[in-house]
Amino acid sequence: MSSDEKPSAPRSLAEALRTRDDASLAALLRARPDLVTPVPTDLTQLATRAGTRASVVRALEHLDRFTLQTAEALAVAAEPAAYEELLGLMAGDARDAAVVAALPGAVAVLREQALLWGDDDRLRLVRTARELLAPSPQHPSPTGLGPSVREATAGMSPGRIQEIVTAAGLASTHDSVSAVTALASLFGDRRRMSALLAEAPAESLEVLERLVWGPPYGQVTADPAARLRWLLDRGLLLPTAPGTVVMPREVALHLRGGHAHRRPEPVPPAVEAAAARRPQVVDAAAAGQAYTALATVEELLKDWDEGGPAVLRAGGLSQRDLKRTAVALDLSEPMAAFWVELAYAAGLIASDGEADERYAATPFFDEWVERPPAERWVLLAQAWLAGTRTPGLIGGRDAKERTLSALGPGLDRSAAPEVRRRVLTLLAGLPEGTAPTAESVLARLAWERPLRGPQRDDDLRSRLARWTLSEAELLGITGRGALSSQARALLGAAAHPHGPATDEGTGSAQGTGSPQGVGFPQGPGDKLPFHHHAVPAHAPGLLSPAERAVASAAAVRLLAPLLPEPLDHVLLQADLTAVAPGPLHRPLADVLGVLADVESKGGATVYRFTPGSVRRALDAGRTASDLHAFLAEHSRTPVPQPLTYLIDDVARRHGHLRVGAASAYVRCDDDAMLNEILADKRAAALRLRRLAPTVLAAQADPAALLDGLRAMGFAPAAESAEGDVLITRADAHRSPPRTAPEPVPEGPPVPDGMLLSAAIRAIRAGDLASTAPRKPVEDAIAQAPGALPRTSPADTLATMQAAVLTGEAVWIGYVNAEGSASQRVIAPVRVEGGFVTAYDHTADEVRTYPLHRITGVAELADDEA
Amino acid sequence: MNGPLIVQSDKTLLLEVDHELADACRRAIAPFAELERAPEHIHTYRLTPLGLWNARAAGHDAEQVVDALVEFSRYPVPHALLVDIAETMDRYGRLTLSKHPAHGLVLTTTDRPVLEEILRSKRVAPLVGTRIDPDTVAVHPSERGQIKQTLLKLGWPAEDLAGYVDGEAHPIELAEDGWALRPYQKQAVENFWHGGSGVVVLPCGAGKTLVGAGSMAQAKATTLILVTNTVSARQWKHELIKRTSLTEEEIGEYSGTRKEIRPVTIATYQVLTTRRKGVYPHLELFDSRDWGLIVYDEVHLLPAPVFKFTADLQARRRLGLTATLVREDGRESDVFSLIGPKRFDAPWKEIEAQGYIAPADCVEVRVNLTDAERLAYATAEAEEKYRFCATTETKRKVTEAIVRRFAGQQILVIGQYIDQLDELGEHLNAPVIKGETSNAQREKLFESFRQGEISVLVVSKVANFSIDLPEATVAIQVSGTFGSRQEEAQRLGRVLRPKADGHQAHFYSVVARDTLDQDFAAHRQRFLAEQGYAYRIMDATELLAEEA
Repeated sequence: MSSDEKPSAPRSLAEALRTRDDASLAALLRARPDLVTPVPTDLTQLATRAGTRASVVRALEHLDRFTLQTAEALAVAAEPAAYEELLGLMAGDARDAAVVAALPGAVAVLREQALLWGDDDRLRLVRTARELLAPSPQHPSPTGLGPSVREATAGMSPGRIQEIVTAAGLASTHDSVSAVTALASLFGDRRRMSALLAEAPAESLEVLERLVWGPPYGQVTADPAARLRWLLDRGLLLPTAPGTVVMPREVALHLRGGHAHRRPEPVPPAVEAAAARRPQVVDAAAAGQAYTALATVEELLKDWDEGGPAVLRAGGLSQRDLKRTAVALDLSEPMAAFWVELAYAAGLIASDGEADERYAATPFFDEWVERPPAERWVLLAQAWLAGTRTPGLIGGRDAKERTLSALGPGLDRSAAPEVRRRVLTLLAGLPEGTAPTAESVLARLAWERPLRGPQRDDDLRSRLARWTLSEAELLGITGRGALSSQARALLGAAAHPHGPATDEGTGSAQGTGSPQGVGFPQGPGDKLPFHHHAVPAHAPGLLSPAERAVASAAAVRLLAPLLPEPLDHVLLQADLTAVAPGPLHRPLADVLGVLADVESKGGATVYRFTPGSVRRALDAGRTASDLHAFLAEHSRTPVPQPLTYLIDDVARRHGHLRVGAASAYVRCDDDAMLNEILADKRAAALRLRRLAPTVLAAQADPAALLDGLRAMGFAPAAESAEGDVLITRADAHRSPPRTAPEPVPEGPPVPDGMLLSAAIRAIRAGDLASTAPRKPVEDAIAQAPGALPRTSPADTLATMQAAVLTGEAVWIGYVNAEGSASQRVIAPVRVEGGFVTAYDHTADEVRTYPLHRITGVAELADDEA
Repeated sequence: MNGPLIVQSDKTLLLEVDHELADACRRAIAPFAELERAPEHIHTYRLTPLGLWNARAAGHDAEQVVDALVEFSRYPVPHALLVDIAETMDRYGRLTLSKHPAHGLVLTTTDRPVLEEILRSKRVAPLVGTRIDPDTVAVHPSERGQIKQTLLKLGWPAEDLAGYVDGEAHPIELAEDGWALRPYQKQAVENFWHGGSGVVVLPCGAGKTLVGAGSMAQAKATTLILVTNTVSARQWKHELIKRTSLTEEEIGEYSGTRKEIRPVTIATYQVLTTRRKGVYPHLELFDSRDWGLIVYDEVHLLPAPVFKFTADLQARRRLGLTATLVREDGRESDVFSLIGPKRFDAPWKEIEAQGYIAPADCVEVRVNLTDAERLAYATAEAEEKYRFCATTETKRKVTEAIVRRFAGQQILVIGQYIDQLDELGEHLNAPVIKGETSNAQREKLFESFRQGEISVLVVSKVANFSIDLPEATVAIQVSGTFGSRQEEAQRLGRVLRPKADGHQAHFYSVVARDTLDQDFAAHRQRFLAEQGYAYRIMDATELLAEEA
């Protein structure tokens, strides 16, 4: 920290921050932009926020491997630690020169990012960071170190501690704290420790050897073997839980020669060259691929020109449509998906937003397609560089096991543009024309942004990097694996390797963690959907819009001469093919595309003329002489005679038959009369047209035509479809077939006997139910006539059971499921399970009633039964 | 960056023939690319897995192929294509067929997973025997052809190192008295012999018989020659006696009429495929002697049963001869896998440029149907339509006009429909050779045509192949077998024998306009058009008017 007066050592992170100048604070906020949203009110709040777990985790995830290792070492060092101690942990007793050189940089980064504060003789890791990085049994540290002696002996009986101290050859002390301190300092003293270990039996040393690089925990039985006993006695292994022992941190560090990490990696792994080619070859290959990219996108859009595939309800392209598109483009599905996504990212296609949503070209496509090829490519390349959509995921499944479809949701990975730019920057760091090995690029990326936890090679960043390499090749950013000069120009200033190796080492803060590129709150780094961040404008990296325009212009300048020059001629051959030995000028290509079928595509295009294709051209409004002139003009070779004949033959028959619609016609053997009609102004409304000397076609319907002609003083006759004269008088107006109306009698039909008897029975039963004289219910309040009987449930049940035994009918009140009440006369047959099964006189059938729906029951008067 | 070659992403190669490097490029790509079309300006080659594997078999590696493409290509070669070439060529040779001293024919691999993969295939399982060790499996000797064909279809072509049997030795020498094999014929024999088995593609009239004779002289072993018909068999015999040390007694004819088996036996496809009670009694011919060489003439006509039997003959050297390896049934690849890859191919126009076949003027004469014929054509049943338009009355008038125009030259009139031919014969006052004409009668007529005693001959499709009529200079085709491309080429071949005075041959195809006939004609001409024979189109009215 560069303050003028030497202030007293800060006592907290907030105080440490307070001593920092504006530039240094700005650097902090740039590196950890989450701290400014929202803007903290004061430095104390800033310090508090910088110490929150989420923010610290995020900051740690953005550290390169060496800086992270430094932080890990600090987490196992004393608090506060002197720089010397840290250096010892990182560089070991041997003081590895590379580490010694790199460490100040790493410490500076940690300090800048407010993960570390305090002077060099009192370095303190922010507490949250220390908690995150310090080893614990649940979260073993990547250092493989165990707890310190003090932590491991906490809770041990003082007597046992004194035994250990004595066994280790130290004087016994009066309290446990000083004993532990003495033990720790013994373990920390290389000379005395070596002397102690020199006495150790060989087998015991082997045990230590096994635990030294971690994990530091081991299992012991209740009665440990002699070699373990020796170690346990001297505290070289300390018990943690029954049956488990741990090697104290100090012991491990002694055995490691002071190293906190088995392999400190102060220098980023170099990106290795796989092949070196002449830069011209690389540029040409990339330009060839760039041209293919343009052709493919154009072809895709052409395929979708007259209505693209439908948008799935969940968004995206169905698997079937993708397959169809892949077939149409003659590509594999993942490739087709890449091009579709690229066109989407470049804004060339979008959903049309209609009721039945389909994908369609955007108006921008029409603008794009008119630009010079190099500009078109630059637009695609920039869209790719900046885009967060990752076509590589298509076909996979998301967390909810839904298939990820092309153009669909769930494909945004916010880390993608940063990884792309980083990979290309690494490529740009190689000499021109050099292609790197994919493994070394991946290793370098893994160093720059290490995963906390176990290393895998299928993590998102590695996959993104692999996709970047293959997509860059497809797009012509790279040619045969090496970065092309046009792409170099496109990347602009960011592409130039910056600074020496040490700077590269700390470069993650400035280089990869590009403030605009990843400058937004980010959880695990890849989960947040793209639209949460208003970054696309800045995403192409470090370049300002103006710089980007300059870079684009430079790329266009470099690329343009490498793209094949559009031709204005083709070679016509007698086998009815035309070969365009290179790309054609657009108008020429368009006409030829209609006039002939494309047989083969690539650098050149082979067209075949068929009767069908020639007819297509004629249908498109061209005449045979147009076509002859067109071919003669654009063919570098004489037009072969069979082709001339083909066009003439098709043209001769084309349009020979004419088809049109007319509503009615007028025919007359006397063409003079037809002339007269045509000349008459009153005929204008009939819209007559002469088809032949004796035939006029009209757009008016026959009746109107007849009336019209009559009004003009003619006497036309109507003609039937067969050509007979229609006699109007004969055909009166008729309805379609109709049946005669049914007679409506005065009352309902007289019922037959059966119906009558059934009706009577029903009436009687109803009558019985409502009028049956009943016995008075004892404890019931006097009931109004017609009211439902009410009895207690117990009475109801008893009465029912009695009725079953006697076989008598009873009178009940019943409330059905809809709540409507009725009265019924039933003869109970069975009472069980809360139900009464009975013959219902009212309904004349056997029914079952739930007892709880029966409001009450009354016996019928004797006289009835 | 201005080479003559354009490499297309669909694996076709376009070669600009007028480019100064075109010849060098052609030589560089010929070993691995198949010539597909050779019209006047741009020749089309195609990269196929088969072609790449053949190149591997002939000792070329992927690096050479890639270098040739990159060197001559005008535009950058698509990276994916280069990768694909390397991968495809890498598949060859993972499996080898060889002779094992103890186990006979074995299939070995240098890449164990490949062997595991193919052994899991249902189609391979019945063809192999016991697993000898993890990398070797025994193969039934009789399945050598089958397994090669199957592996090819599975995409793992086997390198066949099992060699050939020498067969029964028999002295045969070329009798080069006053003539010699032409350079391309020598090259063809050499390529064939070097490759062991395979197909030689030469234009009609370019002397394929001599390539056969040359190969026999190389093999010096008993030879079985399979030809299309008896007349052709006689011509082979005649030619062999004339051109080699073989005598009449050494050559046998095995046909419908004669069943001679001699050191050199010429058999017809027809007799081999005669079927009685569900068996082919004459296929035994293949086993009747220890043949050292089997020659298949007109291999594009090879009938299916012979295919099947050929699969069992993989230990014998096989030579296929043809002018047009286009089969309308698409079985070209079977020819390649059973007889062998294409060992030699020469574009027609190249041989013509060297003066070994006559230059030809191909003319399509379009005739109009009369109004009555048009109505009849329109109402004809689908299967009768072609016949209606192909036999229109106008064709007769046009044919007569052409015959009059070339009066004094040797003219062949070729057609499909016997009534039409009979009628033409009557009007032209010329003899007609058709299916029912006896062999003796045919030979007599051909001989008098050769001698110039008759100048016009009307023939049906029996004369499509292998009829050696060097003096014919004009051929008039009035109808054909629908859209058969190879028939058209063969018919043109009738007039391509070089003329003593070096003058041009004429090939007239009379076609009814706006009918099926014209569609078929367009298809028929495709092969020749792709070989660079540009058809000129004439109106019948024009032709008749010129006359008048």
